[in-house]
Amino acid sequence: MPKHTKSTDNNRPGQARSIRDELEKRAWVQNPDLANRLNNRLEGGKRHYDNPRRILRWQDRILLTLGFVLLVLLVIRAETSIADDAFWGLQLTNDSGVYSELAINTGIRLDITGLVSRVEITQSFTNHGNHWAEGIYRFPLPQGAAVDRMRIKVGERLLEGEIQEKESARRTYQQARDAGQTATIVEQQRRNQFETRLANIGPGENIEITIAYLQNVSYSDFSYHLRLPMTFTPRWEPGQQAVGGQQNTMQQAPDLIPSSSTNGHGFTLDANLVTAVEFAAIESRYHDVDIRQVNNGYQIELLNPNEISDRDFVLSWTPTLESHPSVSLTTFNDGDSVYAQLMLAPPLADAISPQAREVILIIDTSGSMEGDSLGQAKAALLHALNSLGPDDYFNLLQFNSETERLFDQSIAVTPTSLYIAQNFINRLQANGGTNMAPALNMALGMPEVPQLMRQVVFITDGAVGNENELLQKVAENLGNSRMFTVAIGHAPNSWFMRKTAEIGRGSFVHIGKPDDVETQMSALWGRIQLPALTDICVNWGDAAEYFPEVIPDLYAGEPLWLLARLPTEPTMIGLCGELNDQHWELNVNGWDAVATGQGGDNLAKLWARKKIESLEDGLMFGADPELTQLEITGLALDYGLLTRYTSMVAVDRTPRRNSGDSLAVSEIPGLLPAGSSAQLAGYPSTATGWLAQLILSLFVLLLATCMLLFSGSRLPLTKITAKT
Amino acid sequence: MKLLNMPKRHGGLAVMSLIAAVFLLDALWIPVKAELAQHLLERSWLRTLAGEPDAKPWPWADTRAVAILEVPRLGLREIVLEGSSGRNLAFGPTLVNATQLDESADRILSGHRDTHFSFLKELQTGDLLRLRTVKEIRDYRVSWQEAVDSRIQQLVIDDSVERLTLLTCYPFDAPTSGGPLRWVVTAIPES
Repeated sequence: MPKHTKSTDNNRPGQARSIRDELEKRAWVQNPDLANRLNNRLEGGKRHYDNPRRILRWQDRILLTLGFVLLVLLVIRAETSIADDAFWGLQLTNDSGVYSELAINTGIRLDITGLVSRVEITQSFTNHGNHWAEGIYRFPLPQGAAVDRMRIKVGERLLEGEIQEKESARRTYQQARDAGQTATIVEQQRRNQFETRLANIGPGENIEITIAYLQNVSYSDFSYHLRLPMTFTPRWEPGQQAVGGQQNTMQQAPDLIPSSSTNGHGFTLDANLVTAVEFAAIESRYHDVDIRQVNNGYQIELLNPNEISDRDFVLSWTPTLESHPSVSLTTFNDGDSVYAQLMLAPPLADAISPQAREVILIIDTSGSMEGDSLGQAKAALLHALNSLGPDDYFNLLQFNSETERLFDQSIAVTPTSLYIAQNFINRLQANGGTNMAPALNMALGMPEVPQLMRQVVFITDGAVGNENELLQKVAENLGNSRMFTVAIGHAPNSWFMRKTAEIGRGSFVHIGKPDDVETQMSALWGRIQLPALTDICVNWGDAAEYFPEVIPDLYAGEPLWLLARLPTEPTMIGLCGELNDQHWELNVNGWDAVATGQGGDNLAKLWARKKIESLEDGLMFGADPELTQLEITGLALDYGLLTRYTSMVAVDRTPRRNSGDSLAVSEIPGLLPAGSSAQLAGYPSTATGWLAQLILSLFVLLLATCMLLFSGSRLPLTKITAKT
Repeated sequence: MKLLNMPKRHGGLAVMSLIAAVFLLDALWIPVKAELAQHLLERSWLRTLAGEPDAKPWPWADTRAVAILEVPRLGLREIVLEGSSGRNLAFGPTLVNATQLDESADRILSGHRDTHFSFLKELQTGDLLRLRTVKEIRDYRVSWQEAVDSRIQQLVIDDSVERLTLLTCYPFDAPTSGGPLRWVVTAIPES
């Protein structure tokens, strides 16, 4: 096509030879001024160019372009050669290769009680291959969710996931697979991803997978939010391929593209919001929904399933905030014990009188913080200085192998002190080792400013070995201070940081990506600026086992959430605390008792999760490992939880035909789920890109040399007169 | 000097060449440093083996040698450093775990795909990986390799599983750095 166009251009008499010439000419016609000036300069100017058509010689043009390209490439370090190849859904492997299946039906059910939601997802697939296959089903999970229920229907057979002790689960799966039975085991090696393997799927067979997990509801801007990733839903358009991550893998799968008449691919989403109080507003941020009020709360249904596609489903609901802290209590009686969830909502921000604080910022400046981490941490610190009020006091500490403090003791916020602090922050450099203990000691040991609440903010990416010792020190020296910990980096010692914050009655933030520092830190500063209710105590009226064991303060814009197990139904629960420097008390007499079907068992599960977490913590403080393992395993089996000692496995007891046939099996090591205990790690950046830089610079050098050599050659002189 | 006597219009060329030369040296310095550091780290490793608790390779370092990774089939030997920061990665493969190597069962190492861990693309399932720590020598077999998206997935460090994971950026031959994909090689202990 382009060739053709060109030849017609050339044949036309009186036309310019190339498109560029033509464009240039047109520009001159449109802007005669420029043409005049150019011609004047070319004729009258001192320097004469060989080719007056061009202001820059061709060598310079090429060099400039190359220089620009080099700069752009070095500045924008973009990965170019491959597109996103994450695949969600069912991937089947048989003798002839790997192919992917798209979900024909997807159904999502949400049951929201308090600050937790049970999410149940059902997806159905068909094995379009002609052979027996092994499948891997992958599904994106929101942050912090762990699958605790699984049901798989292969053909007419139903497999129900069952929590077993880890070793026995593993044996069960391997035996079943080798015997040619349909079997599956849950593994969650990567966080935010559910992955399960299915052995022995027959040709043309239908597979229906149901998984369920508990997800925490988040709270920000005075509303609760529930966010569901929707990337797994294939976007169906009549007669077209599915769009999104599946495109690449689709090529090998024949007959998968539904014709426009296919109406088998359905999508439904229902939510049940259990509540005793009315909400000020309920909305779905990106999708049209139908909201109905029912006797135990609200029913929400997705109206237009076709619009789901690439946007996350976000449901938000806003409670009516009052001028004082409000309490809501939910209980569940399973016959043996009573589980209670107590939610303390902060009052409106206007109703809180800001308290003057003493803020001590501790920053890790060890060598590992060099680069992005330190840069972002500096930004966060400067942000913190800006958020200080005129009545506040502050101090700054930096530590690496040595500890250095800015002021001997905290001083008032004045333009001068702020200026000194800003200079101190700007001068910070990352070098040396990570010696944490002296810094913590120094911060907690500094003389307190009378009448002020001390908040210690501790920013590090570091690993520590002597956790128990450090924690004990914090517990002993804390006094009336509050500890807030901020972990930066791929794999900080999150356990230690979380525990420090827990003991220190503060909060813990983990910032995995440098990009998130600014937003996360802003949120933290905003939150800790307004303590609403402090020194909170709860009288459960009975021998309650409740979590968190150390109750933190209540801050504006962030509710407090307690889970307890009581031997009997309580009659009254008493709360007390300090509100705006005054004693505050509240007795709770009435609450909702929820049944199993309404998410009551979720409360029991959540409580058990907390209990297991605290048992695991005990290991760090010298609890007997064998006893702890027994206790955790017992709890996990009772409450149906995945832990470091238990897995979920499902086996079809009847052996299937063709079991002797080859089944393409790839062994994934450690078919083991991650319990609540597992540590999380991000992926470090692991490429330097030196080769690209080398090649580019070599290329430019070569070109420059060539041009130097050939720059003697002149171009024929032509002159174009602009039409004016 | 010829360069100085050049006609004025060659000034652009000279500046460009100079910039290119600086970039060239800067680029070359990365693999040279990566190789040199491994030799310097040898001493830190020997001191670690001798029982020194915090054998820093140089006084201002925030790291130390914690292990040797060997790939017998490829004849490779790399000194592994503690702490997976960008600075440490320039010197060698690093340990991602925040805990001590000898106390971790689920061990994760990361390295640059264009320096120390460039061999990852040549690894095959079944390859032997040998990790020498202060306390033991352990053999692993590569059992699973895959690409993951670091924007949507996180690694789980689960110390109830014995395994060795090697991480690097993916794709291996991408000219520039900073992409979201990672190549994950999982190896299980040889029983």
